[in-house]
Amino acid sequence: MIDFEEELKKYEPAIEVEQAEADIKARDLTDLTDLLYNMTAQNNTTKQ
Amino acid sequence: MQCFMCGAEVANSKICYNCGADILLYKQIIYTSYVFYNQGLEKAKVKDMTGAIEALKSSLQYYKYNTRARNLLGLCYYQIGETVRAINEWVLSKNLQENDNPDADRYLAEIESDPGLLSKLNSTIKKYNQAIEYCKSGNRDLATIQLKKVISQNPNLLKAHQLLGLIYIEDGKFADARKVLTAAAKIDNNNTTTIRYNHEIKARLKESNKRHKKKNDVISFSDGNDTVIMTETSLRSMLDNTRTSLVNILLGLVVGLLICFFLVVPTVRSNMTDGNTQTVISLNETLAEARSENDALQEEIDKLKTSLSAFDNKQDVSTSYDNLWAAQNYYASGDSKTACEYIQLVTKDVMGEQGQIAYDNLYAELGPAMTEGYYEEGNAFYTEENYESAIINLKNVVDTDEKYNEGAALFLLGDCYRLTGDTDSAMECFNKVIEYFPNNKWGRQAKVYIAADDTELSAAEIGD
Repeated sequence: MIDFEEELKKYEPAIEVEQAEADIKARDLTDLTDLLYNMTAQNNTTKQ
Repeated sequence: MQCFMCGAEVANSKICYNCGADILLYKQIIYTSYVFYNQGLEKAKVKDMTGAIEALKSSLQYYKYNTRARNLLGLCYYQIGETVRAINEWVLSKNLQENDNPDADRYLAEIESDPGLLSKLNSTIKKYNQAIEYCKSGNRDLATIQLKKVISQNPNLLKAHQLLGLIYIEDGKFADARKVLTAAAKIDNNNTTTIRYNHEIKARLKESNKRHKKKNDVISFSDGNDTVIMTETSLRSMLDNTRTSLVNILLGLVVGLLICFFLVVPTVRSNMTDGNTQTVISLNETLAEARSENDALQEEIDKLKTSLSAFDNKQDVSTSYDNLWAAQNYYASGDSKTACEYIQLVTKDVMGEQGQIAYDNLYAELGPAMTEGYYEEGNAFYTEENYESAIINLKNVVDTDEKYNEGAALFLLGDCYRLTGDTDSAMECFNKVIEYFPNNKWGRQAKVYIAADDTELSAAEIGD
């Protein structure tokens, strides 16, 4: 059985147009290639 | 291919010999990103938007420069009504790959080409957010109204459908909830939330049916805007009271009918009898008046007839005198035949005393000639077997002189009657012939007819 109150908590306010820019800026765009790059860089530093 | 670390050319080698970077792992990451993109594309094609979004997000987590995946993710967001998220993805796509990114260019250009779109979009989003607030504060009615407006403005906003469906489920309006969730399923056919809500509806309906079966004694019905719920016992007692009321009403009706029968009906009948008597009297009066009027009219008619006959006689007087005068003139000139024709046109009764004397004198003089003329004509008609005309002429002869031509006229008249089937008149004529002339040929022939009762002999057999 669905608990209405609990279910309602899953509904978050939608992003308004004014908040779009802030939302883009707040996005973490780090991907696996970035991690690989950092790991490789760290390895290279450690070897040196 | 260049190394992602130092930018040196690595060709197909697994490791960069310049910096030692793991090129194979890098390639595997990018390959995985494209695998997820392909999955997302497949799912988007079959309108599984949730699955597509998840796959595309995964694709971008592996490799953020996968522009195709990002553009498609924006498109998926646009499809489920989340236009701001879609715009964000396209803007990011454009920033990460400024050149050679025609899809992002096109999508953003379409958004910019409609200036009112963003304000309308913002208004819809605010209403949706307001609806969430209403829900959280317990105002589900207001939330329902807001969500209906949101759906009318942005029919693809999946979350609005789902939230409205959730409210309907909570309010027990399962049919409405199912309708809204069906619309949501058309936008995103494999959304977990939508499917879960549909299952919830089924479960609640099943439970409601079970409860209804168990609690048969609880009865609910709507009275105007209110829903009345009561136990079966109380309903039965209410119905019993209703029965008592019905019996009372029936008793009242019976008493009313009896009063009507014993009091009202006799009065009505008496009134009707009085009314009939009055009608009969008035009809009699009318009849008497009509009769007296009829008598008066009849008298008037008689008077008019008398006047008319006097007028006709007056008119006939001059004609009769003219005809008498003409007959005298023709007789004097020796044309007895024409004189006979004219004197027959004279009406003796309308003339004066002198006129009648003149008529009698002339008639006496013309009589034999007239009789002879009638006889000749009658005889001629008899020969021609024109018995009707013969009867007219011969009757004129017999009326003047029954013994004319030794009973020949009388015999021929009788024979004409015989031949026309008037046996009684024929026998009367034959008897007179026998009476007057028992021994001549007419008398003998008449005897033959009477004695033998042979009335079928023809004129030719008798001869002249």
